[in-house]
Amino acid sequence: MKAARLAAHFIRRELRERYRGSFTGFGWALLQPLLQLAIYAFVFVQIFKARVPGVDAPGYVPFLVVALWPWIAFSEAILRSTTAIQDNAALIGKVALPREMLVLAPCSASFLLHACGFVAVLLVLAVSGHGIALEMIPLAVLLYLPLFALAFGIALLCAAVQVFVRDLVQILGQLLTLVMFASPVFYDRSLLPEQYRHLLDLNPFTFYIEGFRSLLLGYGQVRWEATLVALVIAAATLLFGHWVFRRLDPHFEDFL
Amino acid sequence: MSDVLIDALGLGKAYPKVHRSADRLRALGRLLLGRAGTDAQHVLRNVDLKVLRGQSLGVVGENGAGKSTLLKLITGVLTPTTGTVTVNGSVGALLELGAGFHPEYSGRDNVAMAAALHGLHADEMQSRLPAIVEFADIGNYIDEPVKHYSSGMIVRLGFAVIASLKPDVLITDEVLAVGDESFQKKCVRWMEAYLADGGTLLLVSHSMYHVQKLCRQAVWLRHGEVAQCGDVHDVTQAYLAWHERKANGAAPARAAAAGNEFSVESIEINGVRGEAPTLVSSGDRVHVRARLRSREGRVPVAMFGIVRADGTPVYGVSSEMDGVEPERDGDAFIAEIEFTDLALLPGSYGLRVHALDSEGLRMFDTDERTLTVRGESREFGLLRLPHRWGRAENRHD
Repeated sequence: MKAARLAAHFIRRELRERYRGSFTGFGWALLQPLLQLAIYAFVFVQIFKARVPGVDAPGYVPFLVVALWPWIAFSEAILRSTTAIQDNAALIGKVALPREMLVLAPCSASFLLHACGFVAVLLVLAVSGHGIALEMIPLAVLLYLPLFALAFGIALLCAAVQVFVRDLVQILGQLLTLVMFASPVFYDRSLLPEQYRHLLDLNPFTFYIEGFRSLLLGYGQVRWEATLVALVIAAATLLFGHWVFRRLDPHFEDFL
Repeated sequence: MSDVLIDALGLGKAYPKVHRSADRLRALGRLLLGRAGTDAQHVLRNVDLKVLRGQSLGVVGENGAGKSTLLKLITGVLTPTTGTVTVNGSVGALLELGAGFHPEYSGRDNVAMAAALHGLHADEMQSRLPAIVEFADIGNYIDEPVKHYSSGMIVRLGFAVIASLKPDVLITDEVLAVGDESFQKKCVRWMEAYLADGGTLLLVSHSMYHVQKLCRQAVWLRHGEVAQCGDVHDVTQAYLAWHERKANGAAPARAAAAGNEFSVESIEINGVRGEAPTLVSSGDRVHVRARLRSREGRVPVAMFGIVRADGTPVYGVSSEMDGVEPERDGDAFIAEIEFTDLALLPGSYGLRVHALDSEGLRMFDTDERTLTVRGESREFGLLRLPHRWGRAENRHD
């Protein structure tokens, strides 16, 4: 109970801090991915003339939207959480508190903001007739839960390791860009040469992109086994991340 | 109620020595594999401590003795390297002045945060906020970011928050040193009331005045180990005496005096011979008997002096001044003196015996014994001067 209250407090604080001092406030949460979407849409649709393969294929913009928002939530959560322990060194040295909270806050904040933006954009797309399955939106939001578990697990791991190895956050920025292109955010699996397609399955984020597309756009199929594997991976990542975090937690103060 | 609130057993803390980035990587690997044993700097070793409910314990020691580390271990901010510490109750801690405030947030936000950390509802805190602002006496600054606060204001707000939480154990690290005079008084008053209500206090301070005023027990940490633990007056006196001796450098080495023309052969205080410190109390009788030697059989002049542990002279008198002569005893001379109604305040002193030539002009030898005056007193200085309170005119009749 106390932990829940503390978590709520930290998340509120994180949300407020993120947009404090900016004119648009929470508007940024929506505006920033919209700008990214505009850039990507222009580059891919106008310049590269990208089209989604298939007979009943959705337009490129909704195809991109349902993958881009979860990706932004996922990557931003990890990147922001990684320095959470390091940034709060002053607090850690003076107050006894469950340190997971410090990682949970930026991670949850990213997901909350971008999940809200996600729903808003979906509603706009639906209203403007882009063939979004409105009734599937709650289920899509539910899909954010294992994605969050995956992100939180990685975030715990990175935040703990970052205390010891300060280069991590630099590498991570590059690594995340690589992972983004190595998952079918901008393209569909079927566009890859046959022999490389199965490699996508090694990327845990692939499942979520295909899941969202299948749920909301009715594009492609996701098998039950894949769902099960994704859930197990998310849970295992969370457990492993937490284990590492717990293991290193008593020594944070010594290395900060 | 005398249940144990804080129980530390064999508590120790060692910081790893990390100079290069490679050390950090190696340490990470070792910790993940669950192996210990890096090169470590020990800051605290084998500390046993029990604090009962309602106790007030002062922690004294020089800089770097491990006081803050001990408090951090008790608060749970640090994890002990060896030993265990259990705390049965809520802890309110002000460590190293900052109180864990975030500089970018307003005072109000930081108070809310502190409340959340102590498991308080937001609305519960709201209702206490006026009292906190009043106690901290920071007025409209409460809505300013903490980075604009002066260090005194931060401490004031931090103390006000802890005061409103009324924890089972209050842990403060050099809090009183930063506040101004009036805030110090306010804090001391509050802590006294808190202690009177059965609160438990752990106070780190370099001000022996505050330690003696607020604490009944004290622990003295020296180089990460407990040097002494017990009654606050005994511990602080020993600690201050140690400082005085340290400032004075090594005790004056006793010259190889046996061959001197005049020398001090032995000293006997209150009938006890030997180098062990003599324990007395204020107001006691102290009898000193010194055996002096004279190579050529001339009668020496004996001088007795009392110095503070740092060498400051308190009082000195010689047989020649008072017109007496040491008595001959075989080939030696005996000088005896008695200080009646010892006016020294509690503390550690040196009792010196000097052997002078027959004219009392040249000092040939000096020997010293330690005299520890025990007792509880909050008076200042070295001596208790005879005094009375009241108007001056009463004395004229």
